[in-house]
Amino acid sequence: MQQEVVLAIAGSGGDGVITAGDFITKSAARKGLFAFMLKSYGPQIRGGESSARIRVSAKPIYSQGDFVDVLAVFSWKDFKRFTDEIELRENAVVLYDESDKTPLEVVPIPPEKNARFIAVPFKKLASEELKVPLAKNMVLLGVLGELLNLPLDALKDAVMQKFGKKRPEAAAINIQAIDLGAEWVKQNLPEGIPYRLAAEGGNPKLVMTGNDALAFGAIHAGLNFFSGYPITPASPILEFLARELPRFGGAVIQTEDELAAVAMALGASWAGARAMTASSGPGLSLKQETIGLSAMAEIPLVVVNVQRAGPSTGIPSKTEQADLFQAIGGTNGDSPRVVLAPADVEDNFQVAVEAFYLAEKYQLPVIILSDQFLGERSETVDEEVLFARERKIARKLPSEEELGEEYARYKLTEDGVSPMAIPGMKGGQHYISGLEHTEKGWPSSSGTIHQVMSEKRARKLPLIAEESGFVRVYGDEDASFAVLAWGSTKGAVREAIEAAREKGMKVKAIVPQLLYPLPTKALDAALKGVERAVVVELSFGAQFYRYLRAFYDNLPKETYSYARAGGNPIQVQEVLKAIEAHYKKEVEA
Amino acid sequence: MEKVKLTAKDYKTKIPIVWCPGCGDFGVLSAIHQAVADLQIPPEKLGVVSGIGCSSRIAGYINAYGFNAIHGRPLPIATGAKVANPELTMLVAGGDGDGYSIGTNHFVHTIRRNPDLTYIVMDNRIYGLTKGQVSPTTPTGDVTKTTPSGNPERPLNPLALALELGATYIAQGFSGNVKHLKELIKGGIQHKGFALINVLSPCVTFRGKQEYDYVRDHGVYLDDVGHDPSDWNAAHEVTQWMLTKNQVPLGVIYKVEGRKTLADEVAEVQEKARAKKIYKDVRELIEQFR
Repeated sequence: MQQEVVLAIAGSGGDGVITAGDFITKSAARKGLFAFMLKSYGPQIRGGESSARIRVSAKPIYSQGDFVDVLAVFSWKDFKRFTDEIELRENAVVLYDESDKTPLEVVPIPPEKNARFIAVPFKKLASEELKVPLAKNMVLLGVLGELLNLPLDALKDAVMQKFGKKRPEAAAINIQAIDLGAEWVKQNLPEGIPYRLAAEGGNPKLVMTGNDALAFGAIHAGLNFFSGYPITPASPILEFLARELPRFGGAVIQTEDELAAVAMALGASWAGARAMTASSGPGLSLKQETIGLSAMAEIPLVVVNVQRAGPSTGIPSKTEQADLFQAIGGTNGDSPRVVLAPADVEDNFQVAVEAFYLAEKYQLPVIILSDQFLGERSETVDEEVLFARERKIARKLPSEEELGEEYARYKLTEDGVSPMAIPGMKGGQHYISGLEHTEKGWPSSSGTIHQVMSEKRARKLPLIAEESGFVRVYGDEDASFAVLAWGSTKGAVREAIEAAREKGMKVKAIVPQLLYPLPTKALDAALKGVERAVVVELSFGAQFYRYLRAFYDNLPKETYSYARAGGNPIQVQEVLKAIEAHYKKEVEA
Repeated sequence: MEKVKLTAKDYKTKIPIVWCPGCGDFGVLSAIHQAVADLQIPPEKLGVVSGIGCSSRIAGYINAYGFNAIHGRPLPIATGAKVANPELTMLVAGGDGDGYSIGTNHFVHTIRRNPDLTYIVMDNRIYGLTKGQVSPTTPTGDVTKTTPSGNPERPLNPLALALELGATYIAQGFSGNVKHLKELIKGGIQHKGFALINVLSPCVTFRGKQEYDYVRDHGVYLDDVGHDPSDWNAAHEVTQWMLTKNQVPLGVIYKVEGRKTLADEVAEVQEKARAKKIYKDVRELIEQFR
């Protein structure tokens, strides 16, 4: 029995590949197993190739799994598109539809993988036995369920949940199809397969995508205004909120462009709302001017960037971590802001809460750097973990005495935060602008005032850097070797350090959730005793490595970079190799 | 306690005004002060959002919640503010460059959304703050710093554009006639939905004093000629006067009531969404992930 299995399904648009993957993920969650699903699409809008990669495990998992144990293919032509993304483990099992007569010698699977090919009549069973050719993905589910010891009952429950009430006939056919597939395995593959899962799980879990988790987290944080413009891979946030936020009395507006999206959110926040906008990298480029206004006028604003491969249009459907520089410094002038980075699906929820906490408390823009890999993947999530960290979210308002003729919107204070009168408050009338200004908000072109006000705005940053809970450390506390990572690479890094420890190395991983301002004290503590480190990231230009070099004085002298362009998410094996490359040197020395 | 009646003076601020002597925007400022005083709008319930340009400085000269934002974006900022805080009377102000050039996309879509905003464009037909470049409403042939051989392009017609887009209150005023302009602004504020008031507000520095003469000589008060602002076709003809008759229409060009505003639509969306499902607590959102 295996503790885990990684399977991949490849097909074309109408094959129901993603639906099948969703059912597997959901059934695993219901059984209390851990699951992780990654979707991948070809460039066609509709009907193109798609693949679902699902990892199911009895133990916690943090990445997509480097190698695929079981591959299911409806047609070899569709699979071709994914050879770059799907690497088989040696001796992997490959199920393919028997109607595809492509000779196995020419299919794009390297012979050295020694794959075991099994022809399965997915289409035939669906069309001849059920008279519903579309049900072939459900036949596949039955085959996989029986073959891999996936929880068949939970699989059927998931089908009933989706179709049971609204389309009972569809539910019945789908369940028949699952039974057909399972029965076919019993009849034809009695000797079994080496990838049978030990399907013993814990408490039922939730399944969420990162984008949904972020939108949910924002509602939990009191979001009541959202404006956005559709962009891959951030649109699901807009869609989720368009459906759910109005039920809580909030407003969602799909704007004419990215500029209006961020401007509307800023206007709503100025008028007292808890407001957010979301986009991807190209959208963040367009929003920078208003982010600068948020910093200058000191109006809370939350901006989400679900990063994709860039520059420019880049690869809209693929991940990357190369928007760090534009998040930190994309605006003209010295423009204080916060950059937060969620590192997994449940983190997307929590970071949304943190973003509002910091934006409202410090009256500045907060950029959340998610990415396609985080946003579009589905993951099992523990309900309790989701609500574990509570934050009191509040804006500093003026007292009765502070209002009136002498009210100063930008009053100089020790922490740089001034009481903010909300339109509607009597005696709080004032004027604000993107112009440099006096304490009362009056425009000023004085260099002296510019210096004083720059200092005021910047005073918030060290306080934010010292807010607790923004640096995560995994592995050996007393290790002298560390991996530094941020965002979605955390998963592979976490598994890689476990693999390294199993090989006898002493390593830890340090993952800041707050990227700007850098939580230097927490980093100092985490790096205590660390002599060597490697910075792992999906940025061709090694932005995080260079950022740490420039902004962090206490980086270990021997700090190396492992960086490559995005597209495909980082893998455990490559992180492990990076650790080994630099760890070994230490031993030799 | 008897309520003290607010006067125009109560809406002035102490922020020093940066406009040139003779600038048309002074007239617009007076008209706004008088209009909000006539309507007795409490200053704390008044929002003024502006963009960038000479005229956009106006947000600082009105005792209100003033927000002099960034170039071209006052409409979406004000839209967000109005949705978030519907009790505010929202004025939006800016120039022709702000609204009809860098902000055109927002102009188009704000009209489509119909938020309850009163948009006052101080149209001086030139870029003044940047000192004299051609603007989207500069007449063809006019020499400016960036059109030394004369403006080769046709000017944009904001009135016709607004009408085509379905705006429900379109007026044109003249900063040289504050009394008339004040009534147009009051009408815009009282109108439920988006109101456009294009104000010919001369830039004496870069277009000279003759700009006042032009409007005085070619201006036609719509009230005097019996224009019916509820007649779309008649309104359409009026929006073409500058081109067809070299006349400047002054007054309410088009006005209809009853169209849904953005606030109505937001409320409707909330109602429909709640008809499908109501949550007692945010945590109930979790059910869809089981």
